[in-house]
Amino acid sequence: MIQLREVSKTVTSGTEPLTILHPLTLDIPRGQFVAIVGPSGSGKSTLLGLIAGLDAPTSGRVLIDGVDITALGEDALAKLRGEKIGFVFQFFHLIPSLTAYENVAVPMEIAGAQNVRTRAAALLEEVGLTGRAHHYPSQLSGGEQQRVALARALANDPPLVLADEPTGNLDTTNGRHIMDLLRSIHVSRRTTVVLVTHDAELASLADARLTLRDGRVVDNTLVLRQAQDEGEQEPLVLSRSKREFGS
Amino acid sequence: MMFVLRMAARETRSSWRRLLFFFVCIAVGVAAIVALRSVIQSVRQVIGGEARSLIAADVLIATNRDWTPNARATIDRRLAEFGAYARTEAIETPTMVRPADPSRPVAKMAELRAVQSAFPLYGAVELREGQQYSHALIANHGALVRPELLTALNVKAGEQIAIGTTTFTIRGVIAKEPGRGVGDFSLGPRVIIDYADLESTGLLSFGSRARRVMSLKVPDDRIEPLVRTLRVDFKDEFINTRSYRSNEDQVGRDFDRAENYLSLVGLIIVILGGIAVSSVTRVFILQKMRSIAVLKCVGARSAQIISVYILQVVALGLAGSLLGVAMARGAIAAIPIALGSSSSILSQAKYGVTWSAALQGIGIGVLVSLLFSVVPLLHVRLIRPSLLLRDEKSKRRVDWTTIAVTVAVAVALVALTAWQAASVRIGLVVCGGFAGLAIVLVLAGRGLVAAVSPLANARSFPLRHAVLHLSRPGNQTRVVLLAVGLGAFFIVGVRSLQASLLDEFSIQTAADSPDMFLLDIQRAQESGVRAFLSDPAHGAGEFQLIPVLRARVVGVSGRETNLATVEDVRQRGVSIGREFTLTYRDHLESNERIVEGAFWRGPSSEPEVSVEKMIADRAKLHVGDTMRFDILGRIVSPRITSIRDVAWRESRNGGFVFLFRPGVLEQAPQTFVAPLKGPSGVEARGRFQHDLVERFPNVSVIDFREILDTLRDVMSKVTLAITVVGGLVLFSGALILIGAVAMTKFQRVYEAAVFKTLGANTRAIARMLLYEYGVLGSLAGVIGSAGAVVLTWGVSRYALDIPWRVFPAEHVVGVLLTSLLVALIGVFSSLDVLRNKPLATLRAE
Repeated sequence: MIQLREVSKTVTSGTEPLTILHPLTLDIPRGQFVAIVGPSGSGKSTLLGLIAGLDAPTSGRVLIDGVDITALGEDALAKLRGEKIGFVFQFFHLIPSLTAYENVAVPMEIAGAQNVRTRAAALLEEVGLTGRAHHYPSQLSGGEQQRVALARALANDPPLVLADEPTGNLDTTNGRHIMDLLRSIHVSRRTTVVLVTHDAELASLADARLTLRDGRVVDNTLVLRQAQDEGEQEPLVLSRSKREFGS
Repeated sequence: MMFVLRMAARETRSSWRRLLFFFVCIAVGVAAIVALRSVIQSVRQVIGGEARSLIAADVLIATNRDWTPNARATIDRRLAEFGAYARTEAIETPTMVRPADPSRPVAKMAELRAVQSAFPLYGAVELREGQQYSHALIANHGALVRPELLTALNVKAGEQIAIGTTTFTIRGVIAKEPGRGVGDFSLGPRVIIDYADLESTGLLSFGSRARRVMSLKVPDDRIEPLVRTLRVDFKDEFINTRSYRSNEDQVGRDFDRAENYLSLVGLIIVILGGIAVSSVTRVFILQKMRSIAVLKCVGARSAQIISVYILQVVALGLAGSLLGVAMARGAIAAIPIALGSSSSILSQAKYGVTWSAALQGIGIGVLVSLLFSVVPLLHVRLIRPSLLLRDEKSKRRVDWTTIAVTVAVAVALVALTAWQAASVRIGLVVCGGFAGLAIVLVLAGRGLVAAVSPLANARSFPLRHAVLHLSRPGNQTRVVLLAVGLGAFFIVGVRSLQASLLDEFSIQTAADSPDMFLLDIQRAQESGVRAFLSDPAHGAGEFQLIPVLRARVVGVSGRETNLATVEDVRQRGVSIGREFTLTYRDHLESNERIVEGAFWRGPSSEPEVSVEKMIADRAKLHVGDTMRFDILGRIVSPRITSIRDVAWRESRNGGFVFLFRPGVLEQAPQTFVAPLKGPSGVEARGRFQHDLVERFPNVSVIDFREILDTLRDVMSKVTLAITVVGGLVLFSGALILIGAVAMTKFQRVYEAAVFKTLGANTRAIARMLLYEYGVLGSLAGVIGSAGAVVLTWGVSRYALDIPWRVFPAEHVVGVLLTSLLVALIGVFSSLDVLRNKPLATLRAE
């Protein structure tokens, strides 16, 4: 599903270059629930953004279903995101001038989908917000907003859902509720889910875990081919169980 | 497509309050264009429909002199040749009218028209109270008068009035008459009498200002050939020939000019509104950055998002334009009320919004909305969805698309301006002026920001931060200075120009200046009038009798100008091809001074002339040149011995372009005029005029005090028009100010919340805002005011040809008001921040 080849990201901080992600190579097969963990500033969100095509790598290639997204223009990327990727942000990022229903409907309208009304209503029902469809984000609680964001992410039934600290702005109860929804979506739709979190307990709910620190992989249940400065290469191994390598 | 339509509707639904301002900017400008064009078109329709009755003829031949036998013979021949089938003559002259009852000592100036039985050839004389007009009403010393004369003389229909040496009976009251031009200025109300009775009045003396008019009906296809032929026949005479069509063409051209000029003014107001729209759109997009990033994240392309906002802009532009049309309708409805019962043809027009003006206005409103929004909207392309993950400033690189679109917008604006002004040159000048002004404002802004930067070390925390904000990264200083500076520029510039124009138009009477003017005093009456005026019983103050002769320039032999014939003078003599009134004297008046050459002492038999400076400059006349004047058939060739500067505004004793040295013209046929200080008090003045006219019936009296009221009334309408237009520009400038300041609010909101959490109290933050906006406003006011000085100089010198004046008070007040307005708007727009807890603001971020 997702392939990263020697992907790195460097930004300019003031006048100095700052490497957020050192070159890494990664394969995430279809149907996996992967958690990316690490402390703040480790490059987790950046990695997620690169996978989503929201950001461009400084070097390397990102392939989604065999398509090299680093070679695509903005419009093509937007189309890809609309069709194949659902994104859930830590700060929800709902459009404040649209109701809950409209926020969910927008991706479908962009894609020119049929039966928008029915499908949006169904999605809101799936996340338990049928009665709040016509409320604006400012009228919803944090948990409710995140559920709308989740429904929006599923609008075009994408094969891949990316979630960046989806519970980071929520209390424990709401956070667990969101995670339950993510798990349920993963199981019922066989959606590939890549989750960024700093919460180890939440990460334990995933099938596999990737740990970052200072832009480098320090632990993984998906074995990485990481291009070290010395040029070492390691074989790619796919793990099936989160218990096999411990937490 | 459905996504674009739905999103546009949703965005409008949620942000219509914020965009209301946008809406109003466009509405004001469109209202100005639609109202101005509609009024001109409505008046034009009336005139077009009554073209013939405007001059009450197919062809009009007119002269200020007696018809010579040769002239009559030529006319008779040509009329027979071209098949003219109806003809009537009239004589028009201003004269004094008084009640025949000697116990009513009052006299008033009236415009007398003596007509023959065939009058009018076109149109109709309408009388009040349903009375039918017929020539029999005025035969045998009957008179028809305007109602204003009845009031002025306190007489009624049926009573008698004295005109010259004859008594007439008022047999009807005029409601409407044909043959009265549009906007003709008149010295008094109309009186119509029989042509045959005019001789008996004794008014047709030498030098009288009577205008003889021959009105003709001619077959349609012979009209223009007849006019052309007569113009050739009379090219050396002071006989004027025109047809109703040339009148229509001339009026049409005048209306075209007026319509285009006023539309250009309206367009400038729309463009000012467009600048405000651009500010609002810029801010709107900045506020929508995250939403736009989200849309891109869920699959929307830049083109789709831009389409959403363009659709919104078009909808708002259309709504604003429609509101503008409604506003224009309201304004136009007030015109008939303002015109009142005026007899002018202007009051006959049916005023309303014309389709053509409305469609044009709407088109311009939508187009300007689009043109001024499209460049800020292009910023949507540069918003990256990664903004949702990280606040990263993208590298600044040359955006060729934005440059290309900006150029295209500029070209479109030039084309739009050229269309409205019906002139590519004017379009280029106006747009070039705006662009040049913007560049100057930006450069001046940079300089001024650098100049105030030492204040960043001030001890006062609010002042220090206010100055620091001017130059910090991401500051809006340049844009605010440009927008506010433009607003201040137009406000101060228009106010200064308005003051210059009103000052130019102001008519003042100094306590000791002449306030009456006697005309048409015959030579034989000179001593009698002198004795009358000298008699203390009549109450007149200082006076003088000035000899006047009418002449025309028929040649010039000079250093720069050489005109051999009267034809040359008419065609190439700039400003000297018309008839002039000359005089002769051996002294300069108090409002004259010699700027070149030397003034004479004593009389001389060698003719010499002193020329007024403006005419000398225009016609390129110099000291030493020789001119040739035709004075009632006699050619006089004076040498120019001096050039005079005349302060025309102080010409109480009459201002003369050509002043002759005594010794040559004393024996020439002439009349006299007499400026004098009239008696004080309305009754005494009325009696004075009555007694004078009773003794000297052909003498006309112009009472400045009465004329002043008439002139003030006319000028008040002109100044009202100037003030209304100036007011519209002021309003648009104010809108720019508000938009420019409000657009910085969203930055201030967040900062203020952070400062509060760091310990700054509400007062400190309010002071910070006040200082920052106050400094911005002062800078913008200074720049705008300085620009306004240049504007008034340019417009005074090149467009209006009036003396350039600086009104320091306007500029100082302009700077202060701009500073205050900007500061107040800035603080008021941030009131919610000052009042609320900071957490709500920080959470919203």
